[in-house]
Amino acid sequence: MTQDTVTSETQTEQPDMPTAVPTPDGAALDGATGSSPARPPRLSDPLPDTGNAVTLQGVGVSFGDHQVVRDVSFNLARNRVTALVGPSGCGKTTLLRAINRLHDDAGGTVSGSIRIGDLDVYAKDTQPELVRSRVGMVFQRPNPFPNMSIFENVVSGLRFNGVRSKTILREAAESALHHAALWELVKDRLHSPAGVLSGGQQQRLCIARALAVEPEVLLMDEPCSALDPIATAKIEELIARLAADVTVCLVTHNMFQARRVSHYTAVFLLGDDRRTGQLIEYGQTDHVFEVPMDLRTKAYVTGQMG
Amino acid sequence: MTTLRTTDTGDVVVEELLPAEVLPEHLASGAAARRAAIRQAAGRTLGRRRTATRASHVLCALSVGICLVPLVALLAYTTARGIHAINLGFFVHDPTPPGIPGGGIRNAIAGSVLIVGLGALMAIPIGIVAALFLLERRGRVATIVRFGADVLTGVPSIAMGIFAYALLVEPLGHFSALAGCFALAVLMLPIVIRASESAMASVPVDLREAALALGARRSRVARSVVLRGAMAGLVTGSLLAIARAVGETAPLLFTTSSDLFNLSPLQPTGSLPLTIYANGTQAFPEAQQIAWGTAFTLLVLVLLLSIAARIVAGRLARGSRWANSRSKR
Amino acid sequence: MKVFDQGGEAVAAPALLEEVPPEHRVPVAGVREAIARHRARRGGGTYTALRWLGASVFVAVLLALVVTLVSGSSEAFRHSGLSFLWSGTWDDNRKVYGAGIFVVGTLVTTFVALLLAVPIGVGSAAYLSEMAPCRLAQPLSVLIDLIAAVPSIVVGLWGLLVLVPLFEHHVEPWLSRLPLLGHLVFAGAPLGSSLLLASVVLAVMILPTVVALSRTALSGVPVADREAARALGATRWQVTSRAVVPSARSGIEAAVTLAMGRALGETIAVAMVVGNRVAMPHGLSTTLLAPGATLGSAIITTFGEATPGLQRSAVIAVVVYLLAISVAVNAAGQILLRRRQRQRSARVAA
Repeated sequence: MTQDTVTSETQTEQPDMPTAVPTPDGAALDGATGSSPARPPRLSDPLPDTGNAVTLQGVGVSFGDHQVVRDVSFNLARNRVTALVGPSGCGKTTLLRAINRLHDDAGGTVSGSIRIGDLDVYAKDTQPELVRSRVGMVFQRPNPFPNMSIFENVVSGLRFNGVRSKTILREAAESALHHAALWELVKDRLHSPAGVLSGGQQQRLCIARALAVEPEVLLMDEPCSALDPIATAKIEELIARLAADVTVCLVTHNMFQARRVSHYTAVFLLGDDRRTGQLIEYGQTDHVFEVPMDLRTKAYVTGQMG
Repeated sequence: MTTLRTTDTGDVVVEELLPAEVLPEHLASGAAARRAAIRQAAGRTLGRRRTATRASHVLCALSVGICLVPLVALLAYTTARGIHAINLGFFVHDPTPPGIPGGGIRNAIAGSVLIVGLGALMAIPIGIVAALFLLERRGRVATIVRFGADVLTGVPSIAMGIFAYALLVEPLGHFSALAGCFALAVLMLPIVIRASESAMASVPVDLREAALALGARRSRVARSVVLRGAMAGLVTGSLLAIARAVGETAPLLFTTSSDLFNLSPLQPTGSLPLTIYANGTQAFPEAQQIAWGTAFTLLVLVLLLSIAARIVAGRLARGSRWANSRSKR
Repeated sequence: MKVFDQGGEAVAAPALLEEVPPEHRVPVAGVREAIARHRARRGGGTYTALRWLGASVFVAVLLALVVTLVSGSSEAFRHSGLSFLWSGTWDDNRKVYGAGIFVVGTLVTTFVALLLAVPIGVGSAAYLSEMAPCRLAQPLSVLIDLIAAVPSIVVGLWGLLVLVPLFEHHVEPWLSRLPLLGHLVFAGAPLGSSLLLASVVLAVMILPTVVALSRTALSGVPVADREAARALGATRWQVTSRAVVPSARSGIEAAVTLAMGRALGETIAVAMVVGNRVAMPHGLSTTLLAPGATLGSAIITTFGEATPGLQRSAVIAVVVYLLAISVAVNAAGQILLRRRQRQRSARVAA
C-alpha cells in the first residue's frame, strides 16, 4: 500500500526497499495509478492532474455581524494533500469546518459554493449528515468516545450511518485500523477501553474512526498540535500514506509540517481590515514556499510576519 | 522516516518510525463492495434517523411542558383562592373558633417571625463560626463536621421536631416557642454551614496569605478578609435558610402550636405552616379559606425572601468581582 | 542602573524612576513602636476557642440528636426485636408494633414517584441541555426550580383540596377502566387519597432535583464528544443518545439517588394525601388506588396521640428507621456525585 520512498524527502538516497504489499484496488481511485502520490514532488516534477475532489468558490463564513473569512476560492485536488497555513485567527479552521457543514449547529452563515464532486454541499435539499458521511474529520485534540472500546470507537461512524451487518463492521474496522497503522498494536485488545492508548495512538484511533466510513475527503484540523514530536512524526508519515486513498485537507500553523507533507498549499492571512481572513495564495507547495507570487506570502514563509 | 533502535543483542538497527502494515488480501478486494454498502445504508436510514430526531425533540419538549403544568396549577390555585380570603382584617385579627367568620392570622405571622427569627439568631452565628473552623482545619473533627452537615441536610425535618420534643417539651411539660426555635435552628444549621463554607472557600487563598504575610493575626484575617469577601455568600445562604425554615411544618407539629397571640418564647405560639395544616384539614369551608389565604401569604413571603437573596448576592458580588476574578486560574 | 560604553567602561545613565525626597529617607516615627505595642497585646486565643466552640456545638447537636432518638426508641426495639422492621401489624391494643406496612408504603410511593419523575425529568433535562434554543433554556430552568422553592405544606394543601377531588372523580375512575392495568394496579374503589396520589405529589416535588442535576450532568459532557459524533454523520438525536447520555450516566445516577433521598424526607405533603390507613388489610393488596401510609406519614399521624412509654417509643422507632434509610440513600447519592466530579477532572487533565 505504501512506498517507502517517503523517507527520501528528508534524508539522502536510500536503496529502494521492495514493496511489501499489493497496491490497493486501483478502480476505486479513479485512475490515479501512475506516480506514487505519497512523495511530495520536487520543484521540477509537474504534478499529474487527478481532478478535483472538492471545489470552493467565493466561500465566506460569518457569525452574526462578524465575518471570519471571506471570498475563498481554491480546490482540493483528488488524492493529494492540501495544506491550509497561516497565523492563528485567519479563519483556516473556520473554513475547514464549513466543508463538512459543522457550522450548522453553531449558528454560522456560509456563503459561496462548495462542491464535492457534483454534490453542492449547501444546496437546500442536501442533507448535512450525508455530506458528513462522505467527508471525515480529525480534530485538534484526540477525542475518542470515552465510554466505548477501541472497536466500538472505530465502528461508531458506521453505526451512526445505519450499517448493521457485523461482517461489514468487522472488515471495515480492520481495514481502517490497518490504514491508520494501528492494527498490529490493538488487534488483541479491540475491546479494551480507548483510554489505554497514548495520545498519539488515540489520534490514530480517531483517524481510523474517520476512515472506517470510507470518506472521499479527510479534513484534519491541526491534528498534531496536542502531540509530542515522535507522535507528530508518525502522524505526518500516516498523512502522506493516506493520500493514496483519500483526499486530505490539512490545517496547520506549522509551515515546516506543510512543507514536508503537502502537495498543495493555501496561504491565509488577515485582510487589510485586520478582522477578516483571506486566501492570498494557492498553488503547489514547492512553488508557494520557494517562488511565491504574493509579497505577503513571501513575508509569511520567510518568517518575517505571523 | 526512520529511527535507530538498539536491539537486545546490542546491535543498532535502522527501522521505520511507522512500520508498514500489510493490508490482507480479503480486505483489499472487498473494499469497493464495502464502500457501496456503507453509502447505501447511510442514504437508506437517513430518513428514519431524522424522524427520530424530530420525535425526540417533541417528546422532550412535552416533558418540559409536563413539568410546568403542576407549577402553574399550584401557583394559579393558591393565588386565586388565597386572594379571595385576604383582606386587611386577615392580617390584623387572631383566629376565631371554628365555624365563626372573621378570623385572621395575626398570631401566626407574629409566631412565625418569632420562631424563625430566634432560630436564625441561634443557627446563623454558630453556622458561620463552624464554617470558619472548617476553613483552616483539616483533621478528623473537620471531617466529622463537614460530613455531619452533609448528612443533616438530608435528614427528614420530622426528626428534628421529635428531637426538640424530647429535649424541650417533655421536661417543660408543654409546648413552647423555644422548642420550635430549636427544631428550626437544627434544621437551618447545616444549610448555613455549607453555604458559608463554600462562600468562604471562594475567597482567593492568596488574599488570606497576603494578610498573614503582613503579620495579621488569624482572627484579623478572618474579620477583614474572609468575612468581608464572603459576605455576599453568607447573606445569601442565611436568607435561603430562613426561606426554608419559614415553610417547614413537621418540626413545629409537636413543639409549638397555638391560636393565641403570644410573643413569649416559653409559651407556645402559632405559625403560618401550622395554621395552613390545621385549617386545611378541616371540613369547614371557612377554615379552608383561611388555609388558602395563609398559603398565599406564605408563598409570597418565601418568594420575597428568595428574590432578596438573589438581589443581595448580585449587588455584593459586583463589588467583589475584581477579587474573585483573580482566583480563576 | 549601570550602562557600559564601547570600551567597557561604566557610564552613568539617567534613572528610570524618580528619587525618594529627603524627608522620607528616614523611617516614620512611631510606626515600629506602634506595631510592637500591638504585638504585645494578648489575644488570638479567643478566635481559636470560638471556632472550636462552634464546631463542638454542632457536633454536640448531632450527637444529641442521635442519642435522643436512639434511646427514645430502644424500648420499642427491645419489645419487638428486629421483626419491627418488617412485621405488618401495628396494634396499640395488643401492643404489637411492626413498621411493615409503612415500609411497604414508603417503597411503593418512592418507586412510583421515581417511575414518573425520572423519565420526565431526564427528558426535560435533555431538552434544556441539548435541544432548547439558547434564550429559552435558562428561563425554563428557573421556572422548574421554582417548584422546589414552594413550601411542602402549600403543595400538601393543593394536593388535599384540589387533587384529591380531581383524582376521586376523574383520574382514578378512568384508570380503573384501563384494560390490563385497571385490574392489576388500579383496582378498587376510587377514594382520592391513595398511594397513587401520594406518589404523584412526591413526583412533582422531586422533579426539580432530577431536572437540575441531570441537566448539569448532560451539560458537562465536553463539546469534543458531540463534535466527533456530528462529524461522523450522526443526527442530533444520535449525538444525544449515543455520545452525550452515556457519558453523563453517572451524573444522572447521582441525580436519581439524591431525588430518592429527597422523596424519603417528604413527610407532610404525603401525610395529607396518602389516606393514612394504619391497619394492614388481609393479604397485601397490590392496588395503588388504596389508601396507605408511609414511614413519614405514620409518624405524623400517630405521634400526637401516642401515650408515653411503649407506644411513643414505637413511633420514635419509626423515626429512627426513616432516618437510617434516608441518611443511607443521601450518603450514597453524595458519594456518586463526588465520584463523578473526580472522574471529570481526571479526564480533563488527561
